Amino acid sequence: MLFLTQQGTEANITVYEPEQRTRMGFVQSWLGMARNLVRSRDLIYQLFKRDLLSTYKQSFFGIFWIVIAPLIGIVSWLFMNYAGILNPGDVGVPYPVYLLLGTTLWGAFMSFYSASASGLSSGGSLILQVNFSHEALIAQQIAQTAVNLLVNITTFILILALFRVRPQWTSLFFPLTIVPIFCLAVGIGMVVAVFSVVVHDVTKVVTSFLGLLLFLTPIIYGPRIPNPLIQEIIWWNPLTHLVGAARDVVLYGRIEHPGGYVLAVLLSVFVFLLSWRLFFVSERRVAEKL
Amino acid sequence: MGEDVVLSADQISKKFCRDLRQSMYYGALDVCRSMIGRVSTRRHHLRQGEFWAVNHVGFALKRGETLGLIGANGSGKSTLLRILNGVYEPDAGRVTIQGRVGALIALGAGFHPLMTGRENIYLNGTILGMATREIDVKFDEIVDFADIGEFLDAPVKTYSSGMQVRLGFAIAMQSDPDILLVDEVLAVGDASFQKKCFERVLSMITRGTAMIFVSHSMSTIERLCTSGLLLSHGKQAFWGSARECVQRYFGELGNDNLLAKKSPTKIGLGEVTFSAVSVYQDGGSPDNPNIEVGKDFIIQFSYEFVKKVSDKNQVRVWIKTFEGRDVQRIFFQECPFIDNKIYPNEIIVPLKKAGTVKIHVRNPRLFPQTFRVDIGIAPLDIDVHLGALADAAAFNITHPATEQMYLEYGNMTVTNFSYDVTVS
Repeated sequence: MLFLTQQGTEANITVYEPEQRTRMGFVQSWLGMARNLVRSRDLIYQLFKRDLLSTYKQSFFGIFWIVIAPLIGIVSWLFMNYAGILNPGDVGVPYPVYLLLGTTLWGAFMSFYSASASGLSSGGSLILQVNFSHEALIAQQIAQTAVNLLVNITTFILILALFRVRPQWTSLFFPLTIVPIFCLAVGIGMVVAVFSVVVHDVTKVVTSFLGLLLFLTPIIYGPRIPNPLIQEIIWWNPLTHLVGAARDVVLYGRIEHPGGYVLAVLLSVFVFLLSWRLFFVSERRVAEKL
Repeated sequence: MGEDVVLSADQISKKFCRDLRQSMYYGALDVCRSMIGRVSTRRHHLRQGEFWAVNHVGFALKRGETLGLIGANGSGKSTLLRILNGVYEPDAGRVTIQGRVGALIALGAGFHPLMTGRENIYLNGTILGMATREIDVKFDEIVDFADIGEFLDAPVKTYSSGMQVRLGFAIAMQSDPDILLVDEVLAVGDASFQKKCFERVLSMITRGTAMIFVSHSMSTIERLCTSGLLLSHGKQAFWGSARECVQRYFGELGNDNLLAKKSPTKIGLGEVTFSAVSVYQDGGSPDNPNIEVGKDFIIQFSYEFVKKVSDKNQVRVWIKTFEGRDVQRIFFQECPFIDNKIYPNEIIVPLKKAGTVKIHVRNPRLFPQTFRVDIGIAPLDIDVHLGALADAAAFNITHPATEQMYLEYGNMTVTNFSYDVTVS
């Protein structure tokens, strides 16, 4: 161990200069951030453990709450179904299944977004006290979200069984379809993370706007809308395709608009890579505003 | 970088904005700029409402050297430390660091109160940049040093504040830095832990760790540091030997400067007025407020009652540090506190309608520094001043001439010094 630390000290030369990262090329900044993430994997794990466990520390059921809460959710879905409240017309599968999968995906999008958007401010005093890779804060928050998503998906599988819906074989691609949703959410989130430290309204504005998008995405209603204008708007909403595709591979075994989907995927990957760079070059500048 | 130089700061500057709204605007502008990849050319200029918190500071630190960072409150010490620690990005200049930086600035950063000491050691350790394996190896040493015993597996919430600080310190010390940034944290914990910390820091220095030490305790700076850096309003006022640096610091706070800054303020009912307040060395001239360390001195003032209604008044004199912390009170009264009973240290001095009070302070243990004096007179039974004068006078305890006297007065502990009072 002594050998290890000493070796580390010999080579390490650190330079702090104004706008160091701004001078970096695009690819260089992506690599830099990726390197930071790999280097701080221990830290990400520890922060993750802290936040995951501490939520359940002074509680009777402890970590089981992760499972208990969604189970209660299932009961309410079943109730609404048998009470006949949920019946918006034919979507090809039992509506609660359609709705629950859609909202789970939407929820994943929103929580990936807010996890990364609140990444910097959640670091708060820590950022002012200690020098560490701030990417770790965002990665940590995202990991929490991922855990919740896994639990939600497990719940959804239970619901599928309850309603006797057989998922299509294309469900195997489901994890892949999550990736573009993740990219778009985190892409928007990272830019908001930096700006929200400087101007506090940014989070509110973007979050409300994204909240509105829920109604422009076929999640609580089916994909066929009679009004051509609304149809047009819905088509240009990337989330229509991203969420739709993830849902379609599970329930229908196809992707409704492959062309639109490809465009949406390209857009989200582009947003992600761009905002990764934007975050990396500017996040150091905002530490003093925290 | 030259041979053995582990840290060099080259003309570093950092600006801040006083106004929150403006700071928000500039911040958004700067973020946008850096996002589109434009390197600002006007970073060296101040925009409206901005000021230099650190202004062209440059120094170098070699292996095993200890640099004392001193300056009045708000002179930029913490900002500089944060730049060196990589928390703030400098606005100009360049910092080059060779090796690992450890900061004893915020002990126990990121501690979670509900998690156990064991869990927090790993958490805090990784925050400070240690790998999990590294903490595994050093775990026992940390626990041993923090001396938290059976509390190891209890939530940190249940720790006393001293225990938390000890744990934080123990972890920070284990990160084995090449450069240690210390911000007044050595003054935490009980006496035995302080001694342990001190020894630990000293042993690190002898092994070659360089240190930057921020403190308001000039005695500690002089004992511990090889060089000193004096900041004044963000500017580098002096960089050189620690001894000279401390002297400059006192010079800066010195007499002229000080009296110009703090003018006497009248408070109370205005039924007593004070005049001719002076503090001077015993046997010296009343005009000279510079007192050699360790020498007796006189606090002298004249008072006059507008109308003296009672014979039960108390004269109160406070000696404060320049920053305003009480160092010593000198109270005496016209009659005993409780009728017919005089306490061992109680001084009874009857006052006339007007007169001069002369307090002879014997064998004071005040470390070289500037002190201020408040005076007042109040009735014994009511806590309202008939008249008082805040910042009535200031005096300097000047620097000792010999090394020997440093040892004697180096550790300033002001405990009730003795005095006697004459009224004429």
